[in-house]
Amino acid sequence: MMTYIVFILSVIFVVSFVGFSSKPSPIYGGLVLIVSGGVGCGIIMSFGGSFLGLMVFLIYLGGMLVVFGYTTAMATEQYPEVWVSNTTVMGVFLLGLLMEVMLVLYVLKSEEVGVVFKFSGVGDWAIYDTGDSGVFSEEIMGVAALYSYGAWVVIVTGWSLLVGVLVILEVTRGD
Amino acid sequence: MNPLIFTTILMTVLLGTMIVMMSSHWLMIWIGFEMNLLAIIPILMKKYNPRTMEASTKYFLTQATASMLLMMAIIINLMHSGQWTITKVFNPTASIIMTSALAMKLGLTPFHFWVPEVTQGISLTSGLILLTWQKLAPMSILYQISPSINLNILLTMAVLSILVGGWGGLNQTQLRKIMAYSSIAHMGWMTAVLVYNPTLTMLNMLIYIMMTLTMFMLFIHSSSTTTLSLSHTWNKTPLITTLILITLLSMGGLPPLSGFMPKWMIIQELTKNSSIILPTLMAIMALLNLYFYMRLTYSTSLTMFPSTNNMKMKWQFETKRITLLPPLIVMSSLLLPLTPMLSILD
Repeated sequence: MMTYIVFILSVIFVVSFVGFSSKPSPIYGGLVLIVSGGVGCGIIMSFGGSFLGLMVFLIYLGGMLVVFGYTTAMATEQYPEVWVSNTTVMGVFLLGLLMEVMLVLYVLKSEEVGVVFKFSGVGDWAIYDTGDSGVFSEEIMGVAALYSYGAWVVIVTGWSLLVGVLVILEVTRGD
Repeated sequence: MNPLIFTTILMTVLLGTMIVMMSSHWLMIWIGFEMNLLAIIPILMKKYNPRTMEASTKYFLTQATASMLLMMAIIINLMHSGQWTITKVFNPTASIIMTSALAMKLGLTPFHFWVPEVTQGISLTSGLILLTWQKLAPMSILYQISPSINLNILLTMAVLSILVGGWGGLNQTQLRKIMAYSSIAHMGWMTAVLVYNPTLTMLNMLIYIMMTLTMFMLFIHSSSTTTLSLSHTWNKTPLITTLILITLLSMGGLPPLSGFMPKWMIIQELTKNSSIILPTLMAIMALLNLYFYMRLTYSTSLTMFPSTNNMKMKWQFETKRITLLPPLIVMSSLLLPLTPMLSILD
């Protein structure tokens, strides 16, 4: 089972994404987002990235999602939508589930079916090795590279976040 | 809008496009597209009425979907080549998905439905930015991946765009929708020659931007958004009326105006590559475009459109001064004799 742990976690990841993309009320979307964040953390940790996984829990779930949950709780309605309350929501959720089941069957039994795009099994979910890192953990090297070689990326993403805040304030300000 | 915030957001739109055009890493290109999209939303929503909000929402949804498809194509490319640089796209599936994503961003058929609706819902200046500046980034990426684009898909989209751009604009009286359909048709011309000679795509883009800029500025000068209000310009500034005539005929691709240059070069390049039916069809469908430009000139410059008598003697408020208008008009109508200079291009 441990050899397939990434695959199983990815399937749960996609299913929870389908869960909030089928648009129940934002409260329930946030609930499923917690599950998907946790599972995503599990995927990253299976590749040895314990720092990044904890970062997901702390910053994403513990910071951004908490703020989101509070603001949604202030703006929620009396009877929020669940997955089973609305036919459309349930239909989209079931459709997403069905597509995920078909994809899983395709990945597992790819020898017997011929399609346009080959996944060639679970092995392609491996990360590409850019060099021999030896005894260092690749994940910490990645974080270090982000702040040294990737300074431009940090600048651009920081600027995007700042402009995102300005844009949201501008759009919701009204006249 | 607060001038400081407005400047920041406008500069971010510029920065987003610059990042797309200058990056060699696919992820940075995607970030550039997202930054561009995020920052242009408040520019589209400058006036707060439901129509602009609806237009901005439609624009955001379609462009976000296109960015998602682009990201998927990038990841498939990564899976099959193991690297992030933009040399060529190594997998045909990724190439098709990427072409579709960029076609959605440009407004090519069959992803053209958002262009008239979004252009109609926003102010003239925002429409100007939408139809000119926003086309630069996707076109630069198409230019860079042009060796690995599937010819059938691109040519189908191009020819259908020319057809839809011509045919769809026939029933319009709103000027912004006319410009939107004109943009769809011109994008079709540009992408048709992309695989054969990408330099001509850039030439067409340059001349198209000049002509569209000129048209929008003429509309802004006379503050007109419908054919009816444009037909009153003979009373206010007769010179603008003449210039509308010249610029519209240039957009229609008539010699001896500069709009003829890209069409001529594109048809020549296509026939050099032994396709004859295709440029013939494209030239015939460009006539549809010419028809509704001619209808605009007919109602504006060539005849006195029927109106009530009090519309013929309007109050003259202070004329808007648009600094860039004379050079733009000259460039969008008189560039044709410079065609031999194209030999210095790559």
